Amino acid sequence: MSATMPDTPRGGVTTPAGGNGREPLIRLEGIHKWFGNLHVLKGIDTQLLPGEVLVLIGPSGSGKSTLLRCTNLLEEPTLGHVWFEGRDLTDIRTNLNEVRTRIGIVFQAFNLFPHKTALQNITLALEKVLRVDAKEARDRAMEQLSRVGLAEKADSYPGQLSGGQQQRVAIARALAMKPKLMLFDEVTSALDPELVGEVLAVMRQLAEEGMTMMVVTHEMGFAREVGNRMLFMADGIVMEEGDPREMFRNPQHERTKKFLSQIL
Amino acid sequence: MGAVGVEISSPPDVRGPTAPLPATTFAAGIASLALTLGATLVLLVLGGMSNAPLTSFCGSEGITERITGARSICGIAEALRSSTESAVLLAGVVLGLIAVGVGFAAYGRMDTKRRRNEMLAGAILGVQGVLLGAFLLWFGRSGTLMIFVKNFLDFPIISGSWGTLFTGMKNTVILAFGGELGGIVIGLVLALFTISKQRTLRAPARAYINFFRGTPLVWQLSFAYLGLATGLGLNLSAYTTALMVFSLNTGAYAAEVFRAGIQSIERGQLEAARGLGMSYLQSMRYAIIPQAVRRVIPPLMNEFVILIKDTSLVLVLGLTQQQWDLMTAGYQGYLNSYFASFFVVTAVGYLAISLPLIRLVNWIEKRLRSGLVGVTA
Repeated sequence: MSATMPDTPRGGVTTPAGGNGREPLIRLEGIHKWFGNLHVLKGIDTQLLPGEVLVLIGPSGSGKSTLLRCTNLLEEPTLGHVWFEGRDLTDIRTNLNEVRTRIGIVFQAFNLFPHKTALQNITLALEKVLRVDAKEARDRAMEQLSRVGLAEKADSYPGQLSGGQQQRVAIARALAMKPKLMLFDEVTSALDPELVGEVLAVMRQLAEEGMTMMVVTHEMGFAREVGNRMLFMADGIVMEEGDPREMFRNPQHERTKKFLSQIL
Repeated sequence: MGAVGVEISSPPDVRGPTAPLPATTFAAGIASLALTLGATLVLLVLGGMSNAPLTSFCGSEGITERITGARSICGIAEALRSSTESAVLLAGVVLGLIAVGVGFAAYGRMDTKRRRNEMLAGAILGVQGVLLGAFLLWFGRSGTLMIFVKNFLDFPIISGSWGTLFTGMKNTVILAFGGELGGIVIGLVLALFTISKQRTLRAPARAYINFFRGTPLVWQLSFAYLGLATGLGLNLSAYTTALMVFSLNTGAYAAEVFRAGIQSIERGQLEAARGLGMSYLQSMRYAIIPQAVRRVIPPLMNEFVILIKDTSLVLVLGLTQQQWDLMTAGYQGYLNSYFASFFVVTAVGYLAISLPLIRLVNWIEKRLRSGLVGVTA
């Protein structure tokens, strides 16, 4: 598909730091997305190696969230392919429900189930999707809640938790499925400033433990320190790509310079 | 008052003190309504139970001992036109007029909230007392008094029919609950069809809903029983047919309620469920529908209260006596006697079913919502 779109810029064939020629965990190939007549993604190619943290930045409306959501097919790419563990997720024969148990996603708006406690939010998919028995589901949920520092909130409903706590539960919920890849869609954007740190700390720890992560964020400090590679997107294309520290120090593209000067 | 930084466990009463004038006005308003409504009711009940011999007035109005409940009717009518009642009503009207005059004239000059509220409440109660008192004074002297009392307030006439009426109430409850239960099941399935991406599921569901919402329930009952059950020789009683029609009809309305409820749940909830690997149906079942159901309880119960009353349409089906619902039982009582008191009792019966139910639902709603901060926002 990408071969038919020669005029679009492309990103991700660079070898990231520490790549050593390993097989990519996920590869996006020639991704286009239209919403009605609105062309929001205009041919994106990128890939992630196991353990890599890819950061997507860019102005609002640039398509970075859409790209992230195309990765687990929550949005279906209009054109292009998503390869994950050797399978094409855009093939309609692929069982996406099964694939999505191995790709965790965390949203800007937390999206915890408000009628379930923190613990039940985590055990629900373990029991109903992975068919884990109730006791093991509970153990796994408590393990993840402890990991994000919320074991004592297990029986609280989302409405009784702060935004930062809700988001940490949402991360625990995704991690309990033991995913290979984690997608973070502006997970700190809806938080009060004093609550951002606790969520970023959890993500930082996750990165250090070697989780493969794709992170859409406006937290430039996090991007610089935790990201292995960064994409700057604008108008549905990847304008610039590279090592985050290098890109912050010496942006190449005019749009990148302008964006970074506005945001920093 | 309210020292800086001192925590006080309950907010102070800021409505302020009352004063003799507003308190008196308020009391006058209450007394006005108490006399015209309360005292009248007491007099009517006493009159109805007095069992005194028929008076000449009652005789001149055509009441004879041959009419069941003649003495009760006569007692009520005499109570309404008695000098005691007139004096009570007059007193009520005078008190009411005072409350209205003082209350409306002076409430704007009151300097505390409590005083102003008492002035206003007294005046409004006074208006109610004056209107009711004036009406009853006129009615007690009007020529229609006896006709009205005889038709609507002859309760001894019902004494032989309580059994039928209670059976009717039971059948009304069965038809309403049965219809609602069936309707909820049908409605939930239909709602899922109407939001499906598959037009082949959407279209028939919409056609079904449009049909059952677009034709009169009484037509559906008649057609199902006379046209289908009887016409096609199906072995279905009128009662069973009615139960099915109520389910099918309620299903169409419940479908729209559920659809609105499901669509009111934020898109992110479905995305979160799908993102965890749940199938569409699993997401609906475990994440969306439990939230949607909580949200639609009030409109769903509204439909139920409407259904309780709509079950009365089985009147047209010609049920057997054991199957009579409350309306049919009341109507048959009327046909046997031509006393409309049956309709009064029927209305009380319907209220006795629906009012506790409304309270029950409010209670359930509160329970479901407790602990779910954010669900209802």
